[in-house]
Amino acid sequence: MLVRFWGTRGSLAVAQAAGSIRSKIARALVAAKGRHFADEADAAAFVEDELDFATGGTYGGATTCIEIEATAGDGSFIVCDFGTGSREFGISAFARMAAGHARVFNVFMSHLHWDHIGGFPFFGPAFDPGSTIVIHSGHADVEQAFRRQQDEISFPVAFDWLRAKIEFRVLAAGETYRIGGLDVEVMEQQHSHKSYGYRFTDSAGKVAVFSTDSEHKIESMEGEADVANFFREADLVICDTMYSLADAVSMKEDWGHSSNIVAIDICHEARAKRLALFHHEPIYSDDDIQRMHQESIRYEELTRRDDSLEVLCAYDGLEVRL
Amino acid sequence: MKWSEEVRDGAIVASPKGKIDESTALGFGTDLEGAVASAAEASIKLVVDCAGIDYMSSRGLRALTLAKRKADGAGVKIILAAPNQIVREILAISRYDKLFGVTETVDAALAA
Repeated sequence: MLVRFWGTRGSLAVAQAAGSIRSKIARALVAAKGRHFADEADAAAFVEDELDFATGGTYGGATTCIEIEATAGDGSFIVCDFGTGSREFGISAFARMAAGHARVFNVFMSHLHWDHIGGFPFFGPAFDPGSTIVIHSGHADVEQAFRRQQDEISFPVAFDWLRAKIEFRVLAAGETYRIGGLDVEVMEQQHSHKSYGYRFTDSAGKVAVFSTDSEHKIESMEGEADVANFFREADLVICDTMYSLADAVSMKEDWGHSSNIVAIDICHEARAKRLALFHHEPIYSDDDIQRMHQESIRYEELTRRDDSLEVLCAYDGLEVRL
Repeated sequence: MKWSEEVRDGAIVASPKGKIDESTALGFGTDLEGAVASAAEASIKLVVDCAGIDYMSSRGLRALTLAKRKADGAGVKIILAAPNQIVREILAISRYDKLFGVTETVDAALAA
């Protein structure tokens, strides 16, 4: 199983401004200490090997879109959410379909807020008459949400003008479905208008869990045993870690999101193997996200039990092979 | 997790010992809220002597938050005193050092 992150930012798409890029270049030049690079490849190796990620790269700013390539799947694309990252995914999908990939998409929606559907009007395959897009959701009003955002008041291309064959299928929480050659288990989560988590198991037995926009309420901590069971022994848990715990239980309580340390605790309890910190706060700079990642790794070390949990930090373009 | 408490220098000083995680947080929270109620009744502050806490997971931190809500409603101040290096790091990573007053020693908390 391969998990590819096309969009990892929460709530609102963001982009690097000129000042941020200048700062990265300046920091890189200082780190190079006047070194001579023979060519661009030599310089790229320096960036890769010697600069921290926040200097040499960026976590990106596209909102939620994740692709799962299953081992021995049915050949369809498996996707989670239509955030703005789905525009880039659509471009990649066209290239792969031109090379023979099936023109079928199984898309699993966490929920229907703007940052999770806003990429759909720019998703190229929706305009392709040869493509079939099946949108799976726990929400009965999923079709209404997709149609509404393409009403003329909001977008110039009406939903009915799209050329792909588009279907909506409503899934029930607590059920396990066989879709795209994967077993897909569905969990209801705490969020405004609800959200849903998905546990994907491929035929090789690899498990990826997608659990974003999920608040773990302070008044119902005993319910986290159910979440830990959903995450049980997963090879990868992609988890909403938008806020610090202090923010999540104070000023930003009831905003529908979780923290890095609650995610680590639940993954420890679940004996999961890897956690991807996800749905990054849009006001966070790359330095902020990198610091949060480092602190999360340290917290995992401080609270580790028998098995270690690898803590990754998702960024636009990250690929994780399980 | 073991819990003890005493009245000292015009405050309740509570001294939990051991690890506070999902297996012990419920008892920790119950004891903590009991101490808040006692402090409210006596109109004195509550000092949690953290020196004996090995580590505290998010469950323990959130139990602190629930207790703080009751304390705030009853006009009781909670101060965390003398955390070991591990707990100090956890308070910083979780940003709980912004929600609670944290002192180096119990004496400093009593004097605060």
